[in-house]
Amino acid sequence: MIPRLEIHVPEKMDEVLEILDSSKANCRIIGGGTDIVPGFHIESPRFAGFNKLVDINRIEELHEIRENDENIIIGAGATFSQIISDSIIAHKVPLLQKAAHGIGSKQIRNKATIAGNFVNNAPCADSVPALLVYDASLRIQCADSARVIKLEEFLEGPYETNLQPNEIVTQILIPNNSIGLAGDFYKLGRRRAVAVSRITLGLLYKIADNKFDEIRIASGAVTPIGQRFYEIENFAKGNEVSDELLRTIAIKAGKKVLDLTGLRWSTPHKLPVLQKALYNLLVKNCLK
Amino acid sequence: MLRDISLNINGKIKTIRVEESKRLLDVLREDFALTGTKEGCAIGECGACTVVINSDAVNSCLVLIGQCEGVEIITIEGLEQNGELHELQKQFMEKGAIQCGFCTPGMVMSAYALVQSNPDTTIEEIKEAIEGNLCRCTGYTQIVDAIAH
Amino acid sequence: MTKEFEHIGKPVVRQDAYEKVTGKAKFGDDYSFPGMLYGVMVRTEASHANIVNIGYADISSDEITICDHNDIQGSKKVGAIKKDQPIFCYDKIRNSSDVVAMLVGEDERKLRKLAGKVKVELEELPVLTDSEKALDKESPLIHPEQESNLIVHYPLRKGNIEKGFKTCDHIIDQRYTTPRVEHAYIEPEVVIALPLEGRKGVKVIGSIQNPYTCRRVVASVLDYPLTKVRIIQAEMGGSFGGKDDTINVLAARAAIAALKCGKPVKIKYSREDSIRESYKRHPYVMNYKVGFNNDGKLVAMKIDITADGGAYASLSPFVTWRTVVQATGPYELENVHTDVRAVYTNNPYTGAFRGFGSPQPIFAQESLMDEIAERVGKTPIEIRRINGFGEGSVTASGQTLGQHDVNLVTVMDEAVKHSCFDAKWQQNRLEKAPDFQIDENAKTNFILEHDNFYPPESMKRKGVGLATSFRGCSLGAEGIDAAAAYMSIQQDGSVYLLSGLAENGQGLRTTFSLIAAEVLGISPEHIHYLEQDTGIVPDSGPTVASRSTLMGGGATKNAAEVLKNRLEEILVSHWNTKGKGEILFAKDEVTWTEDESRKISFNELCNLAYSKGVSLAAIGWYKGPNVDWDEETGQGAAYFTYVYGCQVAEVEVDLSTGEVYVKRVIAVHDPGTVINLLGAQGQVYGGVTQGAGFALWEEVNSYNGKIKEDNYDQYLIPTSKDINNIEAHFVEGKDIYGAWGAKSLGEPTLELTAAAIANAVKNATGIRFFNLPLNLEEILLNRKLKPTDLKRGSTN
Repeated sequence: MIPRLEIHVPEKMDEVLEILDSSKANCRIIGGGTDIVPGFHIESPRFAGFNKLVDINRIEELHEIRENDENIIIGAGATFSQIISDSIIAHKVPLLQKAAHGIGSKQIRNKATIAGNFVNNAPCADSVPALLVYDASLRIQCADSARVIKLEEFLEGPYETNLQPNEIVTQILIPNNSIGLAGDFYKLGRRRAVAVSRITLGLLYKIADNKFDEIRIASGAVTPIGQRFYEIENFAKGNEVSDELLRTIAIKAGKKVLDLTGLRWSTPHKLPVLQKALYNLLVKNCLK
Repeated sequence: MLRDISLNINGKIKTIRVEESKRLLDVLREDFALTGTKEGCAIGECGACTVVINSDAVNSCLVLIGQCEGVEIITIEGLEQNGELHELQKQFMEKGAIQCGFCTPGMVMSAYALVQSNPDTTIEEIKEAIEGNLCRCTGYTQIVDAIAH
Repeated sequence: MTKEFEHIGKPVVRQDAYEKVTGKAKFGDDYSFPGMLYGVMVRTEASHANIVNIGYADISSDEITICDHNDIQGSKKVGAIKKDQPIFCYDKIRNSSDVVAMLVGEDERKLRKLAGKVKVELEELPVLTDSEKALDKESPLIHPEQESNLIVHYPLRKGNIEKGFKTCDHIIDQRYTTPRVEHAYIEPEVVIALPLEGRKGVKVIGSIQNPYTCRRVVASVLDYPLTKVRIIQAEMGGSFGGKDDTINVLAARAAIAALKCGKPVKIKYSREDSIRESYKRHPYVMNYKVGFNNDGKLVAMKIDITADGGAYASLSPFVTWRTVVQATGPYELENVHTDVRAVYTNNPYTGAFRGFGSPQPIFAQESLMDEIAERVGKTPIEIRRINGFGEGSVTASGQTLGQHDVNLVTVMDEAVKHSCFDAKWQQNRLEKAPDFQIDENAKTNFILEHDNFYPPESMKRKGVGLATSFRGCSLGAEGIDAAAAYMSIQQDGSVYLLSGLAENGQGLRTTFSLIAAEVLGISPEHIHYLEQDTGIVPDSGPTVASRSTLMGGGATKNAAEVLKNRLEEILVSHWNTKGKGEILFAKDEVTWTEDESRKISFNELCNLAYSKGVSLAAIGWYKGPNVDWDEETGQGAAYFTYVYGCQVAEVEVDLSTGEVYVKRVIAVHDPGTVINLLGAQGQVYGGVTQGAGFALWEEVNSYNGKIKEDNYDQYLIPTSKDINNIEAHFVEGKDIYGAWGAKSLGEPTLELTAAAIANAVKNATGIRFFNLPLNLEEILLNRKLKPTDLKRGSTN
């Protein structure tokens, strides 16, 4: 059941910040509501203990997708449907487009927002591995200040982030130096549609003279939070692209995940499949 | 908290005083007696409550009425115009796309949002447009067929 | 046949399509009444416990009414066969969804909060969840008033099993399991009980599959005569066998509350309530031992099946009876020794579900047939040709098949033709799959070796598989098999029709209207199908067992023929046609073959009948022929007729991940005469899709008696994207029973799919799987992985 709540629907950013500032932990931001409302229904403790909602759907600047000299700037309130159909995203951040496509259903994508996907920091948030390989940063605002933080620093632990109760994520920044890299996104679910991810993988790379000039790998749903594999990336960089190397990368990723999670109930399936899926993704993209 | 909300439902402006954290689904069914919109899961997984808000198919179980000031909503009751069924409704009837009928209103609304934005659809686009509308009776075959025509 | 059909067999738009496509159709929750109250259930945390005390001290308030077992005047326990299911628990909790009381009031929100404050003092008992241990001496008794946890045991003995095994060339002994499955109708349960004025009794409206069964339950609980309980069926948002026992119990609770409060009371279940409390498909553990010869001929089959009945018997005795009749499949065998048992556990209870005890043994027996074929070097088609039923074949229960077309091989040939089965099957088999499964015993903690990787394109494998079945129509020796239809022709020629069988969304109203229209030679538009109301038509038994078209269709045809005869008699004297020519009813007109000038419109004729004082109302009746069954030996003519089907599934298996994608299913069924082609096709598409869900994803687990998969985020049913293509083909075999030989289709469409998919997966991977569903883990590990706690979101 939905608790009795006050709902604010401000039109201006300043009003949002003011409400957040004055209500602090008594207030939650609602974007698409696709997590928060089901959370009410099942009486999840993660969605309890506040009596106010501030709806950010009418803040125009939160829906903007644009670019400047340094970044592609995605408004935190952009819906996944908007991301899928946006031409800047399609051309310059294609992994995010692909990840968005696999999220929920059409109805969910019409409502769910990009920031809403990761501010709860669920391990299976599909946008996370895509954004991690693009080295995304977030712009965060509160009434009297603003800050920029790297996404991976923002994501502190399972269902925990660095966001303060009086703050709001306003923008996702994709640095220009990530653009132009080739890449791919992979998702494994139990069904072909509306499936919670079992495994997600983001891959960006650049090959020159058959060597990895750049390679970035991130995973979702296999570790407590979405994860970049820097050590493996550094190992691969500069190496000759060969079937052997791709196998080694996949095995190293498996070892890293095992280090992070230990043996869990799902390990006997997920861990081998993660390695095979990463290998398949690498072969499909990198091995000509 | 009780609040006055004005919104456009099926082409008519309506104003009601309502508890603002009530779900749009409940407001449609209880306050406007538009019971064509159904509840199947309450968590946005089944699509039986799908309505079209500002041209997009949306699960009305995930929308709170307090968020709805000034929006345009089309429900299944809004498709028949002057006694004439929408082409989609006719096709659903003729192609046998209906069995128990519980998912039908939501299914038609998802299809409606699709054909409004893209009248020339592929089978894959149709399947995607209704991926969030569960149907246990029909196996979707005749539904896809109806939307394709 | 003297004339071509006017309506039968054509694609026809459903009678209720307009209301359903405009949102005007009224389902249970679409009804509300002034002063209506709501009922909210009080449950406990236990799966098995004695109830010591129920304390309401913390919730007493003028605003709510508490209903529990003390409010019951009549039967405190109900059940279709065994009266073992309490309306409100008072002595024991047998399952985690058990209800001890219901709180009734205006504000559902408040009631839900208060429900948690009822203090139920319990004495916890050991929980029994393993059906195979149910009959062990040391296992706790679920119903201590019964001697054991055995619900029912059906033996079947034919020939000499020991001798059979001694004389055959090969023996395969194999164990198969199938999961607990949720019906997942999209409309959760809703009932509203309305107290009638004075002493008139009570009316119940709701998503009620079997209004007559429901009436019996409510009347017995209230200790009322049947006539004082009136059940009105709202539009049904799906049922598939699932809105029977549970909804009847809810109807009784609502009726108790409505009479206690003097106000209408609605019970509306959330999806979670629905999945937790409603019954499921029985999980089966099946041991099959089969002996056969080098030429592929089956010699002996020994079958031992345990069905998990959960906490209450429900229809377990009927479900498992169908299993014992059909367990050997559509194959001739001299020596059969079958034991099917249903047992009590503390798991969610199980009962009727489309298929009704057949999808499970078909999965086992059709997997087995392919294995036998492989052992003797035959193809799946050859092995089924060698052993499959034909005209005059004798079933395991000793029944000789006849009086209808025994079309098993015909439907198989048709399916093989449409799918090019042989060529594809041989091709896939030749291409050996790499060694893809995960070795859990390797000491590497699931870190792969370099030689565990294969080229990605080699990991996508195609497979094709088939399955065949025979299925007894209607109830068989399960129960009394008769049905009624009420028909009343008005003076303007429009017709009221109502059958005692109930529309469940499958399209029965349309089917019956077509049958009536065909007999009377009028357009189906002139037929107005009435709302289902137990006050009008005689009890026709339950709408189950794919019996509606056969039994209700027979009754409808009978009613129409009775009235047609009366109309004919009028014309015989009016036109003086006695003994000459034929009077024809067609195209809304009635004509005489001997004189073209003799012609009268159907409505004028009805008006004429009215003016002559001829009654144009009748109750049609159709009684199935006698069937017989010997409980000791399992021998007898179990059903009076049978239908046959074959499905071919084409799949793609991703060996890297364990994903199985259903690319195409070709379904060929002999349902007898097809009445409404659109409706028949819809049954196939829907049944196959449910069957695919059963094959690949669907499973309700019992975590010490509790359910985790209680909504559609956890319980996955097929979406529009999960099955690429389904094709429906019909072979219309002849039969002397039913309306023009129209028989059964709803259940055959579902029962074959999982078996066909499993055989296709074997064809793709080279590996045989014995345990449904064939989910990601089953394919790669040959076992299921289960989360270690019940928390939502912990599924990773």
